[in-house]
Amino acid sequence: MDVEELKTRFVGEEFDSTEFEVKPADALAFARCCGETDPRYSDPRHPEYQAPPTFMTRFHGRRTMPEEFPEEYFQGSFDGGKTVIAHAPIPVGATLVGTSQIADVYRKTGRSGSMTFLVHRMEYRNQEGEPISTVDWKLIRKDEA
Amino acid sequence: MMVEFGDEFEFQPDVSMPTVKSFTTEATRMDFWRFTDHEKARELGGLPGAIVPGIMSQGILAAAIHRFLPGSTIRKIDTIFRAPLLVDSSPTARGVVTHVDEEEGTAEIDLTLVNEAGETPVLGTAVVEVARAE
Repeated sequence: MDVEELKTRFVGEEFDSTEFEVKPADALAFARCCGETDPRYSDPRHPEYQAPPTFMTRFHGRRTMPEEFPEEYFQGSFDGGKTVIAHAPIPVGATLVGTSQIADVYRKTGRSGSMTFLVHRMEYRNQEGEPISTVDWKLIRKDEA
Repeated sequence: MMVEFGDEFEFQPDVSMPTVKSFTTEATRMDFWRFTDHEKARELGGLPGAIVPGIMSQGILAAAIHRFLPGSTIRKIDTIFRAPLLVDSSPTARGVVTHVDEEEGTAEIDLTLVNEAGETPVLGTAVVEVARAE
């Protein structure tokens, strides 16, 4: 299956929806280990206490890829990076709903050859359906020469 | 605003094994040998040693922003994992303000995690809503 076919078949299709609890102990440990000193993230007594803005990167849905996605396509790929868009504070103790989709598939060619990029997107909303956080995960596969 | 174009900041994050183990067990559920066992990471993973989880590196860069601009709100943070950052190394998290929008009250910041050899295994950018002075 080539990049254009992957794009046509899978990009934009929501393939998973999972609930995630923002556990107080996890949020606090995340902040401490990353060196957060802002009391909004490090002090549960702060009136605006919330999880650190990148906290939702720690979750994965029940499925990583759509059911029919040729998973072997990205075997041996590596994690190229993460983008987080913070729409609202992450409420500690809340249960958020995360939906998964493939946001993009594209190829780039540079000095070291050709690589295929897959952007896996999770959008987190609260129980009222309001957006809290969007996390894009970039998977990179080095194409065969 | 309390920030200007060209402002720079840095801090030395703790990526020691105890802290990374705490991150992979208490903060997340990512207790994999590539993060917590130097020997296995070398022998089984072909890595130079255990590596810091990418999402921890990103969290460190977010913390660096909050240390520089307390009370600010990160609207977007984009990080690229170029190479492994090793556990028990002594990296420096750095940032430089590349754009300030007075009207919007936002700043754009370039971010790096630099190792002892001066290499940059992790880099990124962020858009931050800056807390206004009272």
